[in-house]
Amino acid sequence: MKPPSPQSAGRGPKFQKVTTPLLAAAQAPFCGLLLRARHRAGTALHTGKKRAEVRPLSLRCAGEFLKRVGLILAFLVLPVVGRRPASAEPDEGGAYQWNLPKGFAKPYVPAGNPMTAAKVELGRYLFYDSRMSVNGKASCATCHKQELAFTDGRAVGVGATGEAHSRGAMSLVNVAYSAVLTWSNPEMKTLEQQALVPMFGDHPVELGLREDDGFVPMLRSDPQYRTLFEHAFPAVGPKGAADRFTIANVTKALASFERSIISARSPYDRYHYGGEDNAISESAKRGETLFFNQHLSCFRCHGGANFSDATAFEKNADRRVEFHNTGLYNVAGSLSYPEPNTGIFEFTKAPADVGKFKAPTLRNIALTAPYMHDGSIPTLEGVLDHYAAGGRTIASGPHAGTGRDNPNKDPLIGGFTLTQQDRADLIEFLKSLTDDAVIHDPRFADPWPHRN
Amino acid sequence: MFPFRISILAAVATGLLFAQAPKAEPQATGPASFVVKGDIAAPLTIKAEDLAGMPREKVSVEEQDGTKVEYEGVPLREILKRAGAPLGNQLRGKALASYVLAKAHDDYEVVFTLAEVDTAFGNERILVADKRDGKPLFGYQGPFRLLCPNDKAGARSVRMLETLEVVKLQK
Repeated sequence: MKPPSPQSAGRGPKFQKVTTPLLAAAQAPFCGLLLRARHRAGTALHTGKKRAEVRPLSLRCAGEFLKRVGLILAFLVLPVVGRRPASAEPDEGGAYQWNLPKGFAKPYVPAGNPMTAAKVELGRYLFYDSRMSVNGKASCATCHKQELAFTDGRAVGVGATGEAHSRGAMSLVNVAYSAVLTWSNPEMKTLEQQALVPMFGDHPVELGLREDDGFVPMLRSDPQYRTLFEHAFPAVGPKGAADRFTIANVTKALASFERSIISARSPYDRYHYGGEDNAISESAKRGETLFFNQHLSCFRCHGGANFSDATAFEKNADRRVEFHNTGLYNVAGSLSYPEPNTGIFEFTKAPADVGKFKAPTLRNIALTAPYMHDGSIPTLEGVLDHYAAGGRTIASGPHAGTGRDNPNKDPLIGGFTLTQQDRADLIEFLKSLTDDAVIHDPRFADPWPHRN
Repeated sequence: MFPFRISILAAVATGLLFAQAPKAEPQATGPASFVVKGDIAAPLTIKAEDLAGMPREKVSVEEQDGTKVEYEGVPLREILKRAGAPLGNQLRGKALASYVLAKAHDDYEVVFTLAEVDTAFGNERILVADKRDGKPLFGYQGPFRLLCPNDKAGARSVRMLETLEVVKLQK
């Protein structure tokens, strides 16, 4: 890989105004206007909420524009990546080697975006490129830092313009195995679709891109990206090489890179799958037994190879996902969870869905504090307290309430008693899920030379 | 002299390399034996070596992730037969209102009917497994677990098996 050209070294926000081809194409049937796709993603992080709206650049046919970002996203992405398993060999570069150890099945990959090493590599450059933001101040890696298992250490994410999100950045490790993405969007199922939200969403602004900004022209003019795109997307259309530089291809490459970030060799994996007895401590082994114990039932939601019940593989791609209310809140008023984080209720509007969120993977959980969808529990010990109590009680303040009594609470959250030893053992078990290899793997690291 | 010293060092190092203790096998969390009890003629306590001497079967099952694993053990039917549970010709009339309560070390419980495993009825190949891919079950899985290859869900495949209690509802 050549080092980036001097032009690409100083990555400022100086963009020309050009229409993103994919967005323009998508908008053509809607009276041929340029639409400024400002995806109001609500205040939720990466959720692409359905109450999002799209504002027209021109008001000449204001009645025609799409009102829902869900529709825009579907329109942009579904023709490209349907939710069917990839069957054919990839036609864009060489076949991808997953190198998965025993016990790990291949993740689901959409048919329209087969994995290739070249796309993964392009995706890595894009992931770490702050030119992919409105002001050159943020990249995907701003909220997804490798050393923190691709989280940011904050309770809630902060976008390029300093705007705070309402939820925490989720780990991207093993995101390829996520049956649904984000904390609580039942419809967000592919990374290609999801990537558009941080890129173009404006409520909140994450990266703050606009379809007519200079991002795509920058890609087209940057010699390094020209090479990377040529390798990742060798086939070109009638317009020649220019056809490669599309938002659709950007999201395909980003998704491919994200899918490549696999953690399968933690000390726990060496013990459980490899039978290496001394890979984890005796304390961690006792913790494992507690974790899989009927009385605690942690494994009921955080089970399986990825320690999450929202897990899909190549062979069971369309798994139905359960969302859970864990009794984290029980605030006064019509909704028992503080807005805007009301769980899948945001999408279903069913009162029984208030407070229901995805059970995220516990892999590398020791690195991803603070915890829960809103980062409201600072430590793993605090999380154990919450579950041991069968729900969190908040004594005073705007969020006061007895979470244990939340009407939508999952019956599995019944509470349990832990000795000090049990507590220490459970934490040791959770720490055994930390995969040092994945947080130091140069294949997942920033490929750009360090900037001062 | 010097090369000789090196060769001694090499020999000592090689010796150390081979003198290392054999790799420890992970231990199972559940009890080292399970009990068959209840309304039966011959209550049993079964250890790993007992299972090793009984008719064994292998079952290949697909994990949730689509990967295949092979479990090995003794059919539940064989164990119940040995304990004198009413099976075969005896499984008729009131005996058909009999079930097996399988209980785990962590108090988890599930139920099977005797008819489920009997060859004239359900003929289910439910196994009391002690090996997975040729290795003894360890950690939270072992040393004994049930395996119900025809169940679509895994929830009756009790881990850390502790007791099998036969209950006759009509005596």
